[in-house]
Amino acid sequence: MSVLIDGLLAILAIYLALQSLLAPRLIKSVFLFFAFGLALALAWVRLGAVDVAITEAAIASGFLGVLFLDALRDFSPAFPAKQKNPEAAHNVLVKNNTKSLLLSRIPLGLGLGLFLLIALEAVWKTPEGGGLTAAAEAFLPESGVEHPVTAVLLNFRAYDTWLEIGVILMGLLAIFAVGGIKVYRKPNMAAQDPMLRQVIMFFTPVLFLFGAFLLYFGKTGPGGAFQAAVLWGAIGILLHLGGKSIIEEIPRWLRQLILTVGILFFLVLGFLFVAGGNALFEYPRAYAGLLILIIETLAAISIAAALTAIFANLNQMKEDPNETESIN
Amino acid sequence: METYQIYNLTSAVLFVIGIGGVFAARHFIRKIIATIIMGGGVFLSFVSFAERDALTFADPVPHALVITGIVVAVASAAFALALARRIYQLTGEESFTNDK
Repeated sequence: MSVLIDGLLAILAIYLALQSLLAPRLIKSVFLFFAFGLALALAWVRLGAVDVAITEAAIASGFLGVLFLDALRDFSPAFPAKQKNPEAAHNVLVKNNTKSLLLSRIPLGLGLGLFLLIALEAVWKTPEGGGLTAAAEAFLPESGVEHPVTAVLLNFRAYDTWLEIGVILMGLLAIFAVGGIKVYRKPNMAAQDPMLRQVIMFFTPVLFLFGAFLLYFGKTGPGGAFQAAVLWGAIGILLHLGGKSIIEEIPRWLRQLILTVGILFFLVLGFLFVAGGNALFEYPRAYAGLLILIIETLAAISIAAALTAIFANLNQMKEDPNETESIN
Repeated sequence: METYQIYNLTSAVLFVIGIGGVFAARHFIRKIIATIIMGGGVFLSFVSFAERDALTFADPVPHALVITGIVVAVASAAFALALARRIYQLTGEESFTNDK
């Protein structure tokens, strides 16, 4: 029975992945990508990785899907299609030269087939290593939390988590750099759209509470800083779409402080430990649980702010402020 | 056949689909989606090995690495999307063309 479920789920994931690349319309592609993320999340649950499932469903499927949907406003929905930008019209050259296409596709197909065989053999014959389960289990009581994944993320491998917050911040800075200087427009749709206003008013407290629950529950079960951060980031995105963008409402110095507080607190804490003669991120055992909770809260706030800022920044990327939006 | 073996094989297939998509897809968004699918394949193999090495619980280290990896992949995909939109704004092209 379980083989049947797993087999069907595997076939579903492969089918959705193929279809999201082959679908004729771009919007279909994006929605199939949403579905692919959720199918993958189910696969994580089948493999006992509930933390990964929540992260996948929330950030890889949800947040990224929203970014793709937002990007569709820029690109024409059917590809290839007519260009909106008249000055770039001479650049449009999608020649359907079938012969050269066929010539390039045959080696690609053969190469991919060969690669598939190699990859299948590689994963099939991976030797048993035993993994690090035993080590993690032995040191779990000293970590200050009861959930092994949270212990690894925030205690045993805290260095990775610290740098990961840095990576998100770097991504945000890179997006700022690419986007150029923008005039922030205020959509302010909430005033006209009662439906949107109700959705925002209903979901904001629910999302906040659920995020806080996931954050605190990460100590004993699946959940933690990243999952909470995505939910809080969703609040920011909702408010932004409703015309009350937190990123613009608060002063600049506070914005910068919120974006960096997670990584800065981690850094200061780490160097305090080093100054005290311990290793970087070697928490004193008595306070480990409390410290992890504080770090997770600050990290979640920072990540949520960074995700909101990434969305707000990409959302402002419009070629012409006078142009009416095609999808909104 | 064990659960982890099914997902192991799936991960290899997903990776190959993704890499094929990176080469064959023309539109920027499709290319980015293809890289995410490639990443999904890698993460799936990690987590299936974690399931294989389970004692009282599954190996938490690959789980933590995968969570980190998903977030990093999303950050880089967001950056790629910003680049793609910028390219479209400046040139009006939706894919890499070799016609210049």
